[in-house]
Amino acid sequence: MAELNLSAEELARYSRQIGAGVLTEEGQRRLKRATALVTRAGGMGGPAAMALVMAGVGRVIIAHGGTMTSPDLNRQVLGAEEAIGRPRAEYFLESLRSMNRFVTVEAIDHEPDDAEAMELAGRVDVILSCAPTFAERLRLNGAAVAKGVPLVDAAQWGMTGTLVAVDPGRTACLRCLYPEDPPFEELFPVIGAISAAVGSLAALEAVKILSAAGRPIFGRLWLIDAHQGHACFVELHRDPHCPCCGSFGRRR
Amino acid sequence: MNIRVVVSGRDYDLAKSLPRQLTLPEGASLDQALEALAAMVPEGRTLAESCLVAVSGVHLGTLRSHRVRQLADGEELLILAPVAGG
Repeated sequence: MAELNLSAEELARYSRQIGAGVLTEEGQRRLKRATALVTRAGGMGGPAAMALVMAGVGRVIIAHGGTMTSPDLNRQVLGAEEAIGRPRAEYFLESLRSMNRFVTVEAIDHEPDDAEAMELAGRVDVILSCAPTFAERLRLNGAAVAKGVPLVDAAQWGMTGTLVAVDPGRTACLRCLYPEDPPFEELFPVIGAISAAVGSLAALEAVKILSAAGRPIFGRLWLIDAHQGHACFVELHRDPHCPCCGSFGRRR
Repeated sequence: MNIRVVVSGRDYDLAKSLPRQLTLPEGASLDQALEALAAMVPEGRTLAESCLVAVSGVHLGTLRSHRVRQLADGEELLILAPVAGG
């Protein structure tokens, strides 16, 4: 079993985030004991994984397939010029491991299918859905609901981002919002600043959930429309007939 | 009565052709507001049925299927075309 107390070196590393307005020492220990899944680790998931690793989440698992391409580098902060042509997961793993020797980072070199998403959900404390497609996001949502694991869903298009946090069985899940898969375009427009912003906020929600600090945005959608300079929260409600979470509690 | 209109997400460009404020009869419903907006969408374009609909910060469903809601003066209608990217 991993050491559950914080060493003097760890306390020094996290000294700026233990205190008023941030985490308690117990909150920091909770992070150390926690495991987070981030899929994928590109424009949003890369900054999210970075923030979790730097914050001291004990185990961070990333999932991302394919090899690095030049267009990835307008937003995928874990990449680099030298990574072009290399497997993303392998390179991202090296980047993340170089940031914090006190945490464990694992990488999966593909996007999880239904069975793997379910298996992963069963051994993590929070899921950060940073995938570009609705299919992947809804798959992770289904696994999170089935296993009763909190989910933070980050999404982006153009200069607009949305963030939703799901507390399974208590707050609306993604399927409550999207009864049918909305349209998706493969070559979505994106600029790195919005991806990084939404990914970082997703990590912050995960840190709050794991450490019991602050008030997570469970049950709300956070819209950040940077193009029009508009941001707001939208209160969400569970759909009692939701095919994903509607029967939560009855089947558990 | 007047309601504020925000169109965001993938259909953000439609916001340019839609009014930021909509004048409706007193006690108008959400459906009346949506019908009025749909009539103002440029020819050849439509708001996706999967757009999320919220009034005064409360999610009511999608354009295709949403709760019945009477509007009041000064409320904000948000139409959010779901975003997906990364």
